[in-house]
Amino acid sequence: MSIIVDPVQESSFEKPDRSQLWYRRLLANQQFLLLLVTIAIFVFFAFNRHVFASAGEFGNNVTNFCTLVLLGVGETYVIATGGIDLSVGSTVSLSGVVGAIAMEHLAMHSELLVLSVGTVVCIGIGILVGVVNSALIHYARLVPFVATLVTWGAGAGMCLVLTGGAPIGQNSGAIALTVPKIWIFSYPALIIIAITFVAGLFLHLSRFGRFTFAVGSNAFAARAVGINVKRQVTSVYVLSGALAGITGMFVYMRLGSGAPTAGTGQELIAIAAVVIGGARLTGGSARLSGTVIAAWMITIVSSGLIFMNVSPNYNQVAVALLIATAATAQALRKSARQSS
Amino acid sequence: MTSNSTPLYEVRSVSKNYGNVVALRNVSMSVGAGEIVGLVGDNGAGKSTLVKILSGVYSPDSGELLVEGVPHVWKSPHEAMAAGVETLYQDSGLALDLTIGANVFLGREKVKKGFLGKLGFLDQKAMDQEAADDLERTGIAVHASKRTVGQLSGGQRQAVAIGRAVAWAQKVIILDEPTNHLGARQAGEVLSVMKAAKARGLGVIFISHTLPHVLEVTDRIIVLRLGSVVRNAPTSEFTAESLLGTITGLHVGTE
Repeated sequence: MSIIVDPVQESSFEKPDRSQLWYRRLLANQQFLLLLVTIAIFVFFAFNRHVFASAGEFGNNVTNFCTLVLLGVGETYVIATGGIDLSVGSTVSLSGVVGAIAMEHLAMHSELLVLSVGTVVCIGIGILVGVVNSALIHYARLVPFVATLVTWGAGAGMCLVLTGGAPIGQNSGAIALTVPKIWIFSYPALIIIAITFVAGLFLHLSRFGRFTFAVGSNAFAARAVGINVKRQVTSVYVLSGALAGITGMFVYMRLGSGAPTAGTGQELIAIAAVVIGGARLTGGSARLSGTVIAAWMITIVSSGLIFMNVSPNYNQVAVALLIATAATAQALRKSARQSS
Repeated sequence: MTSNSTPLYEVRSVSKNYGNVVALRNVSMSVGAGEIVGLVGDNGAGKSTLVKILSGVYSPDSGELLVEGVPHVWKSPHEAMAAGVETLYQDSGLALDLTIGANVFLGREKVKKGFLGKLGFLDQKAMDQEAADDLERTGIAVHASKRTVGQLSGGQRQAVAIGRAVAWAQKVIILDEPTNHLGARQAGEVLSVMKAAKARGLGVIFISHTLPHVLEVTDRIIVLRLGSVVRNAPTSEFTAESLLGTITGLHVGTE
């Protein structure tokens, strides 16, 4: 009997790694790098157009950011499980439209009541879409991409059926609420930022978040230790839907009406934010801070290009470039780590 | 029968078919407290099926599972775990993107005290500390439990998986090919972890193709061939040759 000797002679005994200096660790942190790049982009725009750094423009950017960030938050949870949610853009439109119809019926009541009911309806529609998504995944056995493609199409179609193509309602009171009141923040913006913050805490510090990553990293292992994988997956799609519903309400307030195309294309921008933020599309690894920074980056690039007199039609091209750059940087860093 | 001689974990007359294929035929075996039982057999002898029945992944078509003499039916691996039966799977049950500490506590996370704990917020510090302690106690020293398991080498991953299973096992630990893909030194470490588990009074079921390891560490060896138990005897009654002969069926051991 010959004993095979391990050529590397590694041992399970290992010393803590102290060789890395703090600034090297910081530079190896993708979210930190992303923040540096975002600041650089901001400085570039502000240097060329000084008004870009004004409180007024900051306020505009915050409002734009709020139409995107919660979609990115939901998408981060979904992608952390190894899934994807293509339906969020349609859900923004659909919840806004259905919410607008409900609010039209209540128009004679107090504004607070109308908006509260609208919010509840929007979130309800979002939850409904999330439930349908998870039912399609678990019972119809569709992969998440196909399941949410179905609800993406159905949602967009429903919007046109319900509205005939024209926006519903004209609520100037709602528009007024999205104007910044506290420095650069409107009240709804503060709520959305607070939700984002809490969602980050739950993703990275709570059992719910831990299960989310465990399911995306190794569903077999998660199931073996008693994690209810189905329930976890359902929860994240419902969460993503609910957050899209809240976004739908915010977009309604901003436009003052429920527009059938209010969220068109937003799902791809949300997914872009998650990818630029450093998440792995196959699941198990994501940082909400990365998504949030990336959402802010996309927001200021979009408005910055307008300030630079670049046609808004180039917006998508710019976002595509950001994705390509971020994905390439990720791949390069990965191969550098492996060869070192 | 006194409670002393009641096996810790026992299967009685278990059979399992996949369609027309008989995977296990009337298999009985048991493991006692502080005993290491080797489960050997050629590919297709039914080891994997038996392991999956022992660990609660599959239900047998017929037969009984008894923990300390009490019949149990596992609806999921988690139920077996809750009853004190831990399994280390061949294709590692670790989540590579999670830290060592998170993996050791996967599915059994500790939450903070008070309101934050009710919301499900984790006491990561306590888990990291305890995970390091648990692994150390089982004879495995993996520092920096904040690293993800994916950053570890194959041997270190296996060490974490075994450490987790041993740390949580209350009664029985099932190790399916734990020394596969390991170098000699790490395999040696795994064998000493098994001896430590035995010394703690756990029942250990050790499934392996590496017969020298089986002969070195087990008290008793059960040989499966074509879904049946062909030999169940103390390890001292086997030599390397007779064990190999019994497994392949090309040689009948001296009875």
